[in-house]
Amino acid sequence: MTPGVLLLFAASALVAGIVAGPWSSRTWLGLTLMATTTALAAALAVLLGSADWNWSSTFPVGGEVLHFRLDGVSALFLVLLSVVGGAGAAYAHEYWSDAEYPNSALRGRAWWGGLVLSMAFVLLASNGLHFLIGWELFTVCAFFLITLDRQNREVRRAGWLYLAASHAGTVCLFAFFCTLAARTGSWELGPMREQSGLAPLFWLALAGFSVKAGVFPLHIWLPSAHANAPSHVSAILSGVAIKLGIYGLVRFSGWLPVPPAAGWVVLGLGAVSALFGIVFALAQNDLKRLLAYCSVENVGIILIGLGGALLGAAQGDARWGQLALAGALWHVWNHGAFKSLLFFGAGSVLHATGTREMSRLGGLWRTMPWTAGLFAIGAMAVASLPPLNGFISEWLVYLGLFEAAASRGATAWAALPVTIMLAMAGAVALATFTKAATVVFLGAPRTQAAETAHECGPFMRGTMLLMAAICCGVGLAPLLFWPAISRAMGDWHPAWANAAPPAALPVLGSVHLALAILMLAAGAWLWRKVHANGLRRRLTWDCGYAAPAARMQYSGGSFAGIAAGWFFWLLQPERTSRRPRGAMPGHASRIERIPETVLERVIVPVSNVVMRGSTAVRRLQHGRLQAYILYLVVGLIALGIFVLIGGSP
Amino acid sequence: MNETMNLLIGLAMGLNLLALGSNRLPTVIRAMAVQGMALGLMPLLIEGQLNWRVILVAVATVVGKGIVIPTLLRRAMRAANIDREMEPFIGFVPSLLLGAGGTIAAVGLARLLPLLPEHAGSLLVPGALASVLTGFVLLIGRAKAISQVCGYLILENGIYLFGLLLIHSTPLLVEAGILLDLTVGVFVIGIIVDRIQRAFDSLDTRKLTVLRE
Amino acid sequence: MMAMLEMLLRLALWVLLAPLLPGIINRVKAWVAGRRGPPVLQLYYDLARLWQRGVVLSTLASPGFVVGPAVAWVAVLGAALLLPLGPAGSVFGFPGDVLLMIYLLALARFCTAWAAMETGSAFEGMGAAREVSYAVLTEAAIVAAVLSLSVQTGSVTLVTMLAPGTGAGAVLLAAGLFVVLLAENCRVPFDDPNTHLELTMIHEAMILDHSGPPLAVILHGAALKLLFFAVLLTEAVLPVGRLTSAAAAAVLVGGVLVVTVGVGLVESLLARLAFRRVPLLLTTAFLLCLFALLMAWKGGAA
Repeated sequence: MTPGVLLLFAASALVAGIVAGPWSSRTWLGLTLMATTTALAAALAVLLGSADWNWSSTFPVGGEVLHFRLDGVSALFLVLLSVVGGAGAAYAHEYWSDAEYPNSALRGRAWWGGLVLSMAFVLLASNGLHFLIGWELFTVCAFFLITLDRQNREVRRAGWLYLAASHAGTVCLFAFFCTLAARTGSWELGPMREQSGLAPLFWLALAGFSVKAGVFPLHIWLPSAHANAPSHVSAILSGVAIKLGIYGLVRFSGWLPVPPAAGWVVLGLGAVSALFGIVFALAQNDLKRLLAYCSVENVGIILIGLGGALLGAAQGDARWGQLALAGALWHVWNHGAFKSLLFFGAGSVLHATGTREMSRLGGLWRTMPWTAGLFAIGAMAVASLPPLNGFISEWLVYLGLFEAAASRGATAWAALPVTIMLAMAGAVALATFTKAATVVFLGAPRTQAAETAHECGPFMRGTMLLMAAICCGVGLAPLLFWPAISRAMGDWHPAWANAAPPAALPVLGSVHLALAILMLAAGAWLWRKVHANGLRRRLTWDCGYAAPAARMQYSGGSFAGIAAGWFFWLLQPERTSRRPRGAMPGHASRIERIPETVLERVIVPVSNVVMRGSTAVRRLQHGRLQAYILYLVVGLIALGIFVLIGGSP
Repeated sequence: MNETMNLLIGLAMGLNLLALGSNRLPTVIRAMAVQGMALGLMPLLIEGQLNWRVILVAVATVVGKGIVIPTLLRRAMRAANIDREMEPFIGFVPSLLLGAGGTIAAVGLARLLPLLPEHAGSLLVPGALASVLTGFVLLIGRAKAISQVCGYLILENGIYLFGLLLIHSTPLLVEAGILLDLTVGVFVIGIIVDRIQRAFDSLDTRKLTVLRE
Repeated sequence: MMAMLEMLLRLALWVLLAPLLPGIINRVKAWVAGRRGPPVLQLYYDLARLWQRGVVLSTLASPGFVVGPAVAWVAVLGAALLLPLGPAGSVFGFPGDVLLMIYLLALARFCTAWAAMETGSAFEGMGAAREVSYAVLTEAAIVAAVLSLSVQTGSVTLVTMLAPGTGAGAVLLAAGLFVVLLAENCRVPFDDPNTHLELTMIHEAMILDHSGPPLAVILHGAALKLLFFAVLLTEAVLPVGRLTSAAAAAVLVGGVLVVTVGVGLVESLLARLAFRRVPLLLTTAFLLCLFALLMAWKGGAA
């Protein structure tokens, strides 16, 4: 079965799913899973083989011949899309079911199929025009998926912000593709590294794709969109849609020549996104918003790897560039896996309790043990703790940076601060996910909603188990996945084709395996010893308070308060408090809100100024005929003076 | 020779950071004093032959910057009855990071300047730039008059270090004159600090804005 | 076969020697205070006693409360086994093992913080919050120190990295790593192990509700971490790798003893810092390691 046949089958199954979606959820699920499995098979066939798949149509679509290409890089992203697309569909079948959401579930299924189809179209398109068409289609499908719950005002606002920001990026992409087509003479895309005149176009591509990828400071749409979308949509947006922005950057930095400063800029953007993104995540009290900001951090890590790769490729194909690229590409997969797991877990919590606010949750491990355990695995993976997959890709990026620093080249000056920032980001990520996992799942339930939670159903649990298994699998047997990564690397930079894995990778894999076995064994042994010694259950000691309340536990905001306080200049928290007054105080409250700083402190004031200017200029349009004639006369006189002085009209 | 000089200047740069990070006034005064003493020994290391003039000025600098000026400052501090800097304009961690960043930038900048080959390897220029920056951070960032005076003195140390580059052309008499100026200046500042304390019952220089009309 | 035997020997060395260190520290503190002090082997007796005890669990605690300390212990032991012991090298060193070492310590921190939040007690939450927050700054310091070693030797493998240079860079690195040791092991001036006031605790607060075998595992893990940092500090500053076996063993033991006595003296002579001043001290440690890095950088470039 050639990849072409498989892809055709997948596409038709998806289309059938879109058509059948509104009628039967089960048929839709079956068709979507068939489609995603075949697409996965096609992608793996290309990744594990050595030949790319190319297909051109005979008929033009929109004036250009359809040209599809599946090479290492697109296959890597296609694998991610298939897995998350299929898992998300299974999740949605139970999470956003017809019974609970009669209006939007039907639409959601159709748009999901459309989203997966258009994202695959973007990945396969090898023609600039079709790339843009696919890009626009997937933006629109994502918008409709985000706003499935249209009745909610917050959701609508999130959708509009997403749409506006995405289109700002798409404008840059339009400029990029049109200039590219103009300079090369055709819309066809392919390796064009010899044409050095194309190098400045990289900046346009960077601007356009960075908006979609959610790079700081262009990430303003990400937190609200991912927080307010239904959880399976957040999972595919965070896991895959963002990666399409990364795909664009990877693809066009590989096919086109890049300006020499590109590597430095990408590296710097990555470091800033990584640190600032996770600091924002730490300060959030909305579980899904926290996860959304964490995606900004992980995109930063990917960009650090990509920047290192660009610099390495420019400086004689250094080995450290290869390691950095391997880390970046692997992190695309790893982040897709653990972020989907985390969003599925958050969706399960939301489904069970009806709230995303961490200060209203707590003690959910008792009623939702599966979700708690799997979310804990996801939290450990995102904090890049061994022996899970997050550590593998971050280890590779670190290795690249360390070797770049040790080589004492020009890159070392940049590698040193970036490494330190990455280390700090890692520690803040640990704090963030300790907060997220423990405040939500441990302790005592803080509200009625948390007390009456229930475990999620088999589909939701199954998809979470699948994602957790992927996280553990990649962490414990990394060598198995290396050939796929190296195939993609070879397509990005031919000099790095057929790269041998770093000699340490198999050792790391066996160390991880040994550690995992030892940890499980130690845990089991201690558990049995505790039971053998005798176990009694008592209320938690809290200095003798007579009636401890669940609200007296440490809250998420306090947990993050120390570190978030150090970054007050970035977070700009707004605090409103009503202090207790008098001997018998009435209601008192303290509300702290972390704004989306770049949006509310930079973009909104600038746009207010622009709006005020525009409103002032609007006064020129008042409807009085005499004034309009005056404008004409003034303009003519000015033009005459201009010509008199000697300027050319 | 170069090694000992670099060691002393490295010590001076470390004392800069100590002065930036500490909120206790005696510590800042002592850091400034030790820095002055270390730098006072520098002419002895630079000059090839040690005639009595060089030794005299070195001893005078060490005694003046290390003993006399700090004593005057400590007396003013005791008269004003304060020993801590409470709320500086630039916080302690930011000023520490600023000083460290400035030191690193100074080392980088010094490499770009066209120095004589004998000065190119030593830490003279970076040390001077770093001390000047530290002095400015203290002058701008602290609210208590005594901290600001210590900042001014560290600034002077930095300029003195710069002057050492020209040691072969500047007569030592000029250095001695500067030293005398400093001592008299600090003596006068001691008197003024006492007056400020008596007028406002506090050494917070923010209160001086009252004098603006 | 030989490798397995060697691994077991090292394991035994680390596990059996670790509880000695808190005993030495307490003895030093007692000597400075003019007391006799507890026996040096006190922690061994405590661990044996705790291992036999029953456990009181909070009604809110999940199985993670018991499993967490076990996983943290394995993580710290793993990090310790990665550390080379002088000329004997390490059993499974590989390029990039230093990063695995750092992140295993992070894993231990995660598990300890998880176990702390299990009981829903505000004290433990406070301790966990402080621990993970200060870890942000100590992580920056540790990575700066590791970078300086790496830049100096041009390698990312622990065995080659711990062959330091001399001069001011080593002094700065030693000072920075010593402050990091005090912070990571919750010693004065960051945390007083003898305090009884929960509001002032970091590490002690996190283990307030543990008892019996899990508490024994936690205490042993803390001692293991202290031994780990002491050995790391000694090897980063003294060229242990280049000596003969006997000399290296003597230097290592001597170095660890010096560090332990130093910790004891610092605990006796300094007071605990107010929490709002802790970031300043940690920033100083970071800057010390950063300057060591820059000196290593300049040393190689020159």
